[in-house]
Amino acid sequence: MKHIFKHKRISAIVSVVPREEYRFDDEYPLFKLTDDKARRFKKMIGLDRHRIAPPEVCSSDLCLYGLQQLLKEGTLKREDIGALLFVSQTPDYFAPPTSNVLHGKLGLGPDVVCLDINQGCAGFAVGLMQAFLLLEITALPKVVLLNGDTGSKQVDRCNRISYPLTGDAGSVTIVERCEAENPIYMDVKNDGSRHKAILIPGGAYRTPASPETLVIREVEEGMRQNLHHVSMDGAAIFNFTMEDVPRQVQEVLAFSGDSLDSIEYFLFHQPNAFILQQMAAKMKIPPAKMPNNIVTLYGNSSSTTIPLVISHNYPAEFLRAQHRVCVSGFGVGLAWLTMVMTLGPLTTCRLVEYEPV
Amino acid sequence: MDKTLFYEQMAQILDAEEVKPENVLKDFETWDSLAVLSVMAMADSKFGVAIKADEMRSAVTAADLEKLVEGKLK
Repeated sequence: MKHIFKHKRISAIVSVVPREEYRFDDEYPLFKLTDDKARRFKKMIGLDRHRIAPPEVCSSDLCLYGLQQLLKEGTLKREDIGALLFVSQTPDYFAPPTSNVLHGKLGLGPDVVCLDINQGCAGFAVGLMQAFLLLEITALPKVVLLNGDTGSKQVDRCNRISYPLTGDAGSVTIVERCEAENPIYMDVKNDGSRHKAILIPGGAYRTPASPETLVIREVEEGMRQNLHHVSMDGAAIFNFTMEDVPRQVQEVLAFSGDSLDSIEYFLFHQPNAFILQQMAAKMKIPPAKMPNNIVTLYGNSSSTTIPLVISHNYPAEFLRAQHRVCVSGFGVGLAWLTMVMTLGPLTTCRLVEYEPV
Repeated sequence: MDKTLFYEQMAQILDAEEVKPENVLKDFETWDSLAVLSVMAMADSKFGVAIKADEMRSAVTAADLEKLVEGKLK
């Protein structure tokens, strides 16, 4: 489904990562990998280090830390917060919504929309779409889009595929109206028939938590998981990223009248280095235009990878000027959403390490 | 179909000196879920065909994979 949003813009981005950094070279004995296999795996997937939050730190803590920085420095005024939009698959509680918990911690007044969205790798793009829609409420000043994921809590530490790939992070994106038309071209697609391709089967109400859901099974050599962990059909996801997503990106480029030349940066979700390389090659996107280093440096943090791509790689570029970008999020659902827009100059664009308050 | 290219690529994926059509995939220590993805990527980038995971499950030997790719080219 295609749409053009107008008179909306992103004005600030802060990404927050835990201080705790773990290196693949130190961890791989956990996975019982031979040196040869570890080397092959590291090179292909692009593993080096990742950030893992300590057990007591939730995704919302990472988001709150970033948001408090924006408030402290004056980039964002409390009275300008019209909506807290929290996109995550690692909420504080099943109920209430984590956005309400954050609303309370910030001591905000009652005229604020609080909304949680259960979304994963497409979650930054889905969150942007919802933020733009909320700005249709004319009394609502700015939307605070919070993306947070502590995916390390959804994998077994000895799972040789899921664990080394995963990283924890939060991000805060301020979305607001602007006088300039600034058209934002979007296509959003979903395919629920493939909802089992990425699935956490247990712990909710279809399969409630029980002693059985906690039993760890080895589904493939070195792949330990219980029913509270993410289960992935790697090959099905690969087909998805090589067919559905590239098709959508081409469609949105045609829709906005752009080309591989006119787009300066392809800011894509970062599943792993291998998939991104294959996607770039398939779409003939020059690697220099498509950063592919977040899994290697921080780990795949689901819906926060695009803010990390921006704030790690291009803080100076987006503070200084505007750039034509293509943003694409794709994953669990399956859901995939691509936007072409002019992004910048931002008032804040940085990546910080979380400090417990 | 360029069979030499196919088997060269297979050798690269499996980290082996040589891969022959009759070689059984499971006999390679490196034949794992990453290798499966690599074969799918190779089929796409070198031969322009998309293979599905289900189709690969029945492949026993390297020749079975070759036939799979060749079948898609027609």
